[in-house]
Amino acid sequence: MCSILEDEIPLAKERISLDRKCMKCKEEPAILITRVNDAFCRGCFQVYVTHKFRAAIGKTKLVRDGEKVLVGISGGPSSCALLHLIQEGLSQRAHKKLRFKPGLLFIEEGQVVGQSLEERKVTLTRIHSLLRQSGFPYHLCKLADSLDLERVKTLSACQSNHAAVNKMNQSAMDINTAAVNKMNQSAKDINTSAGNKMNQSAMDMNTCINPVEGDKGEVEKSGHGENCCDLLEMNREAEKLFAAQLGSIKSISGKEDFVRALRHRLLLEFARQHGYSKVMLGNTGSQLAVRLLTDISTGRGMQAAMETAFADRRNTDMMFLRPLRDFSSKEIAMYNNLHRLECVFIPSLTTMGDVGASIEHLTEAFVTGLQAEYPSTVSNIMRTGEKLDSSSAVDIESHCALCQGPLDTDVGMSSALAALRFSLEISTMGKSNGKRCIKGDNSVNNTNDELCSNGVNYDAKVECCGESDGSCRSSTQLSVPDEGLVLQTLCYGCRIVAMEMDDVNSLPEFVMKDVAWRNRRSVMKAEIQDFLLDDR
Amino acid sequence: MWAERPRGNALCKECFFHAFEEEIHHTIVHAELFKRNETIAIGASGGKDSTVLAYVLKLLNDRHDYGVNLVLLSVDEGITGYRDDSLETVKRNQEQYGLPLKIISYEELYGWTMDAIVKQIGLKNNCTFCGVFRRQALDRGALMLKVDKIATGHNADDIAETVIMNVLRGDIGRLRRCTAITTGTDGALPRCKPFKYTYEKEIVMYAYFKKLDYFSTECIYSPNAYRGFARAYIKDVEKIRPSAIIDIIHSGESLSVKKDIRLPVQGVCERCGYISSNAVCKACVMLEGLNKGLPRLGIGKTHKERRKMQEMLQQETGAADSTPCTDQSLKSSCKCENKTDQSECSSQTYDSDNASGCSTYSKSQKCKDGCSSTNPRTVAKEKLSIFGKLKQPPSIDF
Repeated sequence: MCSILEDEIPLAKERISLDRKCMKCKEEPAILITRVNDAFCRGCFQVYVTHKFRAAIGKTKLVRDGEKVLVGISGGPSSCALLHLIQEGLSQRAHKKLRFKPGLLFIEEGQVVGQSLEERKVTLTRIHSLLRQSGFPYHLCKLADSLDLERVKTLSACQSNHAAVNKMNQSAMDINTAAVNKMNQSAKDINTSAGNKMNQSAMDMNTCINPVEGDKGEVEKSGHGENCCDLLEMNREAEKLFAAQLGSIKSISGKEDFVRALRHRLLLEFARQHGYSKVMLGNTGSQLAVRLLTDISTGRGMQAAMETAFADRRNTDMMFLRPLRDFSSKEIAMYNNLHRLECVFIPSLTTMGDVGASIEHLTEAFVTGLQAEYPSTVSNIMRTGEKLDSSSAVDIESHCALCQGPLDTDVGMSSALAALRFSLEISTMGKSNGKRCIKGDNSVNNTNDELCSNGVNYDAKVECCGESDGSCRSSTQLSVPDEGLVLQTLCYGCRIVAMEMDDVNSLPEFVMKDVAWRNRRSVMKAEIQDFLLDDR
Repeated sequence: MWAERPRGNALCKECFFHAFEEEIHHTIVHAELFKRNETIAIGASGGKDSTVLAYVLKLLNDRHDYGVNLVLLSVDEGITGYRDDSLETVKRNQEQYGLPLKIISYEELYGWTMDAIVKQIGLKNNCTFCGVFRRQALDRGALMLKVDKIATGHNADDIAETVIMNVLRGDIGRLRRCTAITTGTDGALPRCKPFKYTYEKEIVMYAYFKKLDYFSTECIYSPNAYRGFARAYIKDVEKIRPSAIIDIIHSGESLSVKKDIRLPVQGVCERCGYISSNAVCKACVMLEGLNKGLPRLGIGKTHKERRKMQEMLQQETGAADSTPCTDQSLKSSCKCENKTDQSECSSQTYDSDNASGCSTYSKSQKCKDGCSSTNPRTVAKEKLSIFGKLKQPPSIDF
């Protein structure tokens, strides 16, 4: 039973005649065709798009009046459309205007594709002007900042556009530019440990600036003024670290996954530290359909539902919203065209690459190709995504340390994960030794299994596989966590990425901290195991 | 001779055989697929999966002493140039492995071969027919042999394809079930997939190195199947990352469905007694369609088919009244216009429950004999019988 819902004969393409009338008002001549064969005139299309956008937000009643929402702007067409829709929705003349307080954030990712400093400056300047024109408070930061999350609060540039604050900022800016230049000066000579001292001084500077700003509390620090490119000069250490980590991942798919996890984490941290309660992203339906299939293909089935839902609740304190999820890329492109919106093109890892460059790129080509022949493909995929359960784990310990998604590795012995582990064991251990490994207690705790199956290099295995009682940390220092321990805190999809790296311990700082914290907790739990009543 | 496994380790021939066999043993043991003294029917098509399955199961049964009895079960769909050749391979397997064999054909079960069906329905959607019929055929054959379980040669690539295909089709019910290693534990004969975590490439490598004999052509009707898209995608993803196939299976296993989604409930077909999620099982619907000259009955949308039928009726009767015979007002008698027909019909016993005498399957058979075939009313009732809700299902023996 191949087709359960619809006839799979591709629709015969109707001849497009130029004098069709809009299907809604039936008066105006139609200027575009959307969905399968619906012709709209300009006015009705605008109403259609606006209504869908508002309905997506309003239906779920998740965004309250006066709530601070961080809007992630990437510079691409869907972000620009989102920005424009928000502007229209918030403006005075809108019918029943939206009532939340948006703040914009742009994450500079030129380092990922290896752009030169000049190219990055050009992009940054263009984005800066785009954000400034919007009239909302905006922030700029770069992806490498995610490796150094404490400094996110101080190191991002921000400028508010509210007229009253601008005047105040004028004086504050002079003070700040001098201070920031000093900061830059010291940044170049200081290494990470001394960076804390710098933070301290930066904090002091901020506290003395704040009283000057007055009552517009959303601007905590004024920015670097016109010179947004200072962002690129700062924090070179983090950039180097990031370049090293990215370089150690061998496949492009792995790199893309890693970048995505970092981006998510940075958005999360930024929103938390600046007092935002929600994050809004501009992913369209077509992009999300590709995302769902890619997640399934990379072993992230459990998170697939979250990534494509309207509200992503994987972090209990921060919700990610996707109001454009019912739009197709074509509709967004037409909207941008009608309003002459300018987008900034930012290359990604697979730009100009061939189809098989990465899994996501391949999936995109696949879905787009299929959609051309069977126009209901994207909506089918989105509908499947809606029916999947995106229940979030409450316990922080059941989150992946890298991507914050739920851990999906607590599966029984009859599962893909177990089969993969066993296959690796048996391929590397050979006939004679193999028996020893198989005979080991199959119900042993995860720690031991991990250490065994990661042993692609024999040395590590010989060290750790001696006893099967879980105390395999005997040979290594406790300060450097074992590969097995680190991998245990990652979900299936992130494990694939981590195993591609040369050294698992070179994962970002926030991951390693999480690993150490969980390790301490499990030691604590082991000590008090007898006294715990709940089976947690 | 060296073999590089898709997962990246290079092994010599002997180590590869060992690894391959032990992995399957691991799968069987941990999923508890076989119990002592069970009889297992191996779905044998003569292709690589079923040949290797038969070989490996026999080997593991002897080596690890599962204590099961193995038999070969083969289905003949009636596709010339494909199935008749592969059946020869199965017969050879029977001799080589010393396992008993039973062949069951669509012709004897349903009265239709796939070639004839394709002539009626064309080259799209024919896989639907074959798939549905084959499933029933396997079950009926297995019942005849009195086995406890069926083992099929579905490998990791097949399951990954199925996951992707179900996502693309929006079939949430199947998506939930398709990664289970044993299906059908409630009701019909359970069937298991020992090759669930085995790559197709490795199966071919194993057969090649062990010099096993199999028939390696694609079904001639398969290029136009929707599954082909999913298969092409899987092959491309595998090139980028070989472990992706197992990753997809892992994703499929981790998927969970929202609780308030309506999923199909399993019941029993009113006509033939086979398990079905609708009142009448798909095979009966399709057969009825084929027999009555409306081959798209099982495939197109129900209301469209109903409309088509009503249009056909209107053309034939020229009457405005084209109510289906399930209308309660026709309860009392068969409205055959021809007197002699009516007497034939009235010889049937009507229950007051029946909406209309002619609408039950077996009775309409008799009615066909009695009533003149040109009588549009009875022809109409026969044709529309498929939509009627039957109160007393006749039982057809397997």
